[in-house]
Amino acid sequence: MSSIPALVERVVLALAGLVALGETIDDEWTYVHDLETVWVARLRAVAAARAELPPDSGLEPALARLIDEVGRISDPHRAIDWLSTLPQATLVAIGEPAW
Amino acid sequence: MRFQDAAKDARTVVYAGVQADPLVRRAAALLADATPAQRVLARAVMNGETADADGWRLAFPSLFGAAAPPRGDPARDRAEGILEASLAVAGRGEQVRSQVRGAIVEALTEDLLGRRVPPSALRRERRILFDGVHAEIHPYDLTVEVAGAAEAYDCKWGARGISADVLHQLDDARGHAAAEGERLLPVLVVFDARRSCEVRLARQTARRAGTRLVTIETLDRLAGRRAEAAS
Repeated sequence: MSSIPALVERVVLALAGLVALGETIDDEWTYVHDLETVWVARLRAVAAARAELPPDSGLEPALARLIDEVGRISDPHRAIDWLSTLPQATLVAIGEPAW
Repeated sequence: MRFQDAAKDARTVVYAGVQADPLVRRAAALLADATPAQRVLARAVMNGETADADGWRLAFPSLFGAAAPPRGDPARDRAEGILEASLAVAGRGEQVRSQVRGAIVEALTEDLLGRRVPPSALRRERRILFDGVHAEIHPYDLTVEVAGAAEAYDCKWGARGISADVLHQLDDARGHAAAEGERLLPVLVVFDARRSCEVRLARQTARRAGTRLVTIETLDRLAGRRAEAAS
């Protein structure tokens, strides 16, 4: 079973994919990267605080499903929406407040 | 300061049809009593690519997993209802989906405000007029029309909807009201996390100190209730 930090890094990688898509909208380049910065920091802080705790059995499949969902996105506008949505859904799956 | 119905142009006629969609009213009613985690579920599914209900149940174990309330429990039934309604929204075409999502945020805001203010004071699609000031073209999504304690609401699905134009209109209304000796509280309601909204606002130079920001985690304050944690 993967640790919570390892699982969260998979989400961070998925966020990078959304950034690559969202930053193709020139006017939103800064916003996209700022979103990534603040949410990755939040996710890593939560992961670090739970590094020694075993993840619930439902967490790994939940995050795999969410990562699969964002992997299907091809529209850059929807990618930007998911740059905010994926971290919130991830935090809910971990059992943390979503913000 | 006076309130006035918005002109019935083509946009308002089309959008009125969206607002009257029974799916909008059903989703808003479910979300008004939802937990924060259930609201995040709605945001994800309405933004989603896939229509596989079991896949979404897998993605939200706290709502549908082994430790979640069983079917028949009100909390579980609400989560299932939100999932069903959100999938119905996601099933609309991209442009319609976007309109429906916006209308749901407005209807949700109306539902929550309706728990705090009398129905006669709560209005949709109203303009606010001030003496000697050119009227804004765009109406406010909702207004609370109480003498001495008026409120004007602009509702957004996501943080990306926050723009300089929106902030200027809200702050200008507050300023014009103050110039007439009236009190008007402008409120921006965003169905997105405050963290994302703050990112969006950080690079805006428009005045917003007098505008209240209500985000997905603090929606219940519209009804006069305290927010809950979202896990």
